[in-house]
Amino acid sequence: MLRAVLRDMRAHPGRMAMTLVAIVLGVGFVVATWVVSDSAAETVSSGSSRSDVAVQVTGEELTPETVSELRALPGVTKAQGVAFGYSALVGKDGKISGYSFPDMGGTAWDSSERFSLVSGRAPATDKEVALEEASASDAGVGVGESARLLNGDGSSRDATVVGIYTYRRLSVDESTPVAAFDPATAKQTLGEKYSWIELTGTDATAIAKAIAGLGLDAKTGVELKADRERAATSEAEFARNFLLAFAGVALLAGMFVIANTFTMLVAQRSRHFALLRAVGARRGQVRRAIIAEAAVLGLIGSTIGAALGVGLGWLAMTLIRTTGETIVFAVSPLAILIGYLVGVVVTVVAAYGSARRGSAIAPVAALRADASLPRRSIVLRTVAGAIFITGGVAAVIATSGTPLSKMERAVGMGGALIAWLGVLFLAPLLASAFLKPLSKVARSATSRLAVRNAIRDPLRTAATASALMIGLALVTSFATVSSSVEEVMTKTVKNDLPAQTLAVQPVQAWFDLPEAVIERVKGMSPKDSVATPVQGGVRVTLPGHELRGQTWTAVEPAAIGTVLTPPIKEGRWDLKGGFAVSTELADEFGLKVGTQLTLHFEEAAPITAPVTGIYPDSYVMRGVVLNKELLPAGLKGYPLGVFVKGGDQSKLTAALADRPDVVVRDRDGLIAAQTEPIRLALGIISALLGAAVVIAVFGVVNTLALSVLERTREIGVFRAVGATRKLVRSSVRWESIVIASYGGVLGIGVGVLLGAVMQHVILTQPIFSLTVPWLLVGGALAGMVVVGVVAALWPARRAARTDVLAAIATA
Amino acid sequence: MTRGAAARAVELTKIYGQGEARVTALAGVTVSFHAGELTAIMGPSGSGKSTLMHCVAGLDTASSGKSWIGDTELSALSDDALTILRRDRVGFVFQAFNLLPTLTAIENIVLPLDLAGRKPDPAHADAIIDAIGLRDRLHHRPGQLSGGQQQRVACARALITKPDVIFADEPTGALDSRSSAELLSLLRRSVDELRQTVVMVTHDPAAAAYADRVLFLADGQIVGELLKPDADSILDRMRDLEHRAVTV
Repeated sequence: MLRAVLRDMRAHPGRMAMTLVAIVLGVGFVVATWVVSDSAAETVSSGSSRSDVAVQVTGEELTPETVSELRALPGVTKAQGVAFGYSALVGKDGKISGYSFPDMGGTAWDSSERFSLVSGRAPATDKEVALEEASASDAGVGVGESARLLNGDGSSRDATVVGIYTYRRLSVDESTPVAAFDPATAKQTLGEKYSWIELTGTDATAIAKAIAGLGLDAKTGVELKADRERAATSEAEFARNFLLAFAGVALLAGMFVIANTFTMLVAQRSRHFALLRAVGARRGQVRRAIIAEAAVLGLIGSTIGAALGVGLGWLAMTLIRTTGETIVFAVSPLAILIGYLVGVVVTVVAAYGSARRGSAIAPVAALRADASLPRRSIVLRTVAGAIFITGGVAAVIATSGTPLSKMERAVGMGGALIAWLGVLFLAPLLASAFLKPLSKVARSATSRLAVRNAIRDPLRTAATASALMIGLALVTSFATVSSSVEEVMTKTVKNDLPAQTLAVQPVQAWFDLPEAVIERVKGMSPKDSVATPVQGGVRVTLPGHELRGQTWTAVEPAAIGTVLTPPIKEGRWDLKGGFAVSTELADEFGLKVGTQLTLHFEEAAPITAPVTGIYPDSYVMRGVVLNKELLPAGLKGYPLGVFVKGGDQSKLTAALADRPDVVVRDRDGLIAAQTEPIRLALGIISALLGAAVVIAVFGVVNTLALSVLERTREIGVFRAVGATRKLVRSSVRWESIVIASYGGVLGIGVGVLLGAVMQHVILTQPIFSLTVPWLLVGGALAGMVVVGVVAALWPARRAARTDVLAAIATA
Repeated sequence: MTRGAAARAVELTKIYGQGEARVTALAGVTVSFHAGELTAIMGPSGSGKSTLMHCVAGLDTASSGKSWIGDTELSALSDDALTILRRDRVGFVFQAFNLLPTLTAIENIVLPLDLAGRKPDPAHADAIIDAIGLRDRLHHRPGQLSGGQQQRVACARALITKPDVIFADEPTGALDSRSSAELLSLLRRSVDELRQTVVMVTHDPAAAAYADRVLFLADGQIVGELLKPDADSILDRMRDLEHRAVTV
């Protein structure tokens, strides 16, 4: 029996090809995910790991004296203090480039394994510098060129790049310095305080024990390595789980494709199976034969998929290699094993339904010319779909109120997903419901034929479209959430700032805004046209409550209503008369206008005042807002930026040209800076979901190719009575476009609704206050038409080549 | 009475395969199908009767020789030109599976016109629909029609374009005797009443008896002709042919 199956497969390699594509892509994604995460962990823990340090010493005051003291300890052969200081590389645009931490951006060159030269040599004079590889390429400077470096005091200097290095970390939380200076220069610019001291010696444990007696902290190289490995493993695991979610989506789309293909293959060979049954094969034998076929296909697909995955993993690792590490490429047997497991299990599970149907054929069918499997009933699906949709929608409606508990969020989201499942069940019914009217309006013979062919087997069309729908629905829902979040952000920024207000902010949100810049901008602008809000943490008490870990925002009262225009919900903005609190805080603790609050600062006297206003979502304000003039002396807070009303952006930018660490943004610029990371994240998610869409496109090709094969005779008649090859091609192309568009409309519809619920549970906005990403919706619909055309290329050509005679003559 | 030829062929040969597997299906056939006549082509299996019909109808290309539909010589035509010729000037009725299953009866009937982007002539369409007697079933799909009804729909489709010639390839092959009789009288009436030309390949003497003329084929050549035949004379001739085939 198995031999018959294998021989049959060998005889018809073509019909398996498209199924293989679905398995290969799915397995490839899974294996690549594994390879990438394994390699990333391996890279951190072995290749770029340091082995030249016996003990790392950390402590409050580490000076050259500490170094000499440690060098004198028994067993220590070498002691090296590691100094860090402010240094940032200025890019071609005059601003700090890359994603570094300027406070720890500069260090002193030494001969330890911290540095590994990629090109050039170590810096030797104060006119020379070595740069970290990724930062240098970000800033666009190479060996021999001049680089501009920003110092901590705001001054900058030019130095010749003599070397490019990659950096190896010793401890987990170490940041990568962008610039390394020669020791003498470093002593001057970075000072003589060390972040840690590295010891070389024979007996690390003994040395560490001796250091513990000195009131310093010590960790041995072995402990550090274990820490690094632990961190790397957990990071890799996080990345792996993230990527596996997307691989899962791709596999789900793949299952639809595989199941659909097997259904078609079994239907086409029903006479063959009936014949087997007629000559004595038991039902179980036929079923097992089909399952064996699926398993063999799964094995072949997994083999190619695993190879593809390893290749993709290698490619991804090479592309990620911007952090300056030396990549270790790790392919674990587990990765390959899981690839095979996934490939075979997914294929067999997907084929099981058609195996059962194929084996259920009556032997007598072999005697009929038009042997076909009984039509599958869609009654059960329809009932299940209706129940799922009703239940899901009910859950969503029940949780559609705006203050949402965690439980309500979960119920709402779960309801949306269940309703989606319902739509998947109802897809065949919806296909006939939506496409039937379309066949009435189709004018030409070819387009009418195409639509009719598309709804001829609604289950087949629905399965093909559903594979497309899965990827599209997710992309659309994420895009809906992201455009809703962008909309909310844009709205809050616009509420908070009048169009004429400019913001002076650090280049990256996590950089400090230098005091000197704040003072300079203040000095340049008329009084009361500047706001310099600052934030910090505080403990708040009110009668009957103690609220720990709250945020305060301090701002000049005169700036409110002019420079900053944050809205107010209750009471009014009267910082001279008391505090303003956020709606969140007010709702959570029942604060009202008039409630007395006391702010207990860590090292200053507490302030007590009544609540005078409650404000809604704000870009600048967080927590309790107070008058900046009342802020206890010595309490600086964290500056959010300098906001200037009525300034000239280009003039202000020019005035701050010597500050590569700050930028001047107008309101739109501020909004763009806020929303850019969201767009980036959406881009990555969409790309990862792209795999599912690609698999689904192959599913469309598959369905069309097999349908064309099934309809050879019809196409022959069509050709005989006067359809040109072009018309045959166009009829298949239209059919493809109809199927793809159906998947597109379904996917986008579900995606927008899913996104509506997602933004509701994430942003606690009303469900229908979503922002529809029209650009993406339009693009996706147009894309589906393109998908339809592309998917039809090959099947249409095959159909057009149908030999009229062969088709009609074989009775 | 001089009749024009609706379709004709000169020295038509058709050879399949090469070397050992070489089969001569047509060995230089010269034939003319008169306009306004029902011609039947008969012959034992493998005599080349279907091949002859396919070549003359523009469904297949001959190895050598020429054939015409009306005044149009086929060997010079491209695939598209042949297709359009079939659409506009030739009608077909095959043994079975004639209709597109997704189109209704009436949609199948007007398909050739539809493909050409033309509207049917209402009077003509009406006449045809009356002739096939399926007015109440026009909006049924082929799956909802009996085999005989399907063949009559195919017949109507062949008639709708008022073609130069209708080719019918074993049109009754899959029908019971009553449906066969209905279909054959329909073909007969399209010749008598609608002045159509029909060429029918069949191996059934009773079917061939409806023809004005019967051509006998054997081994790729025309070996005989009967005018105004009846079933018995056809049967005799056929027996003769098969006997010859056995003794060869």
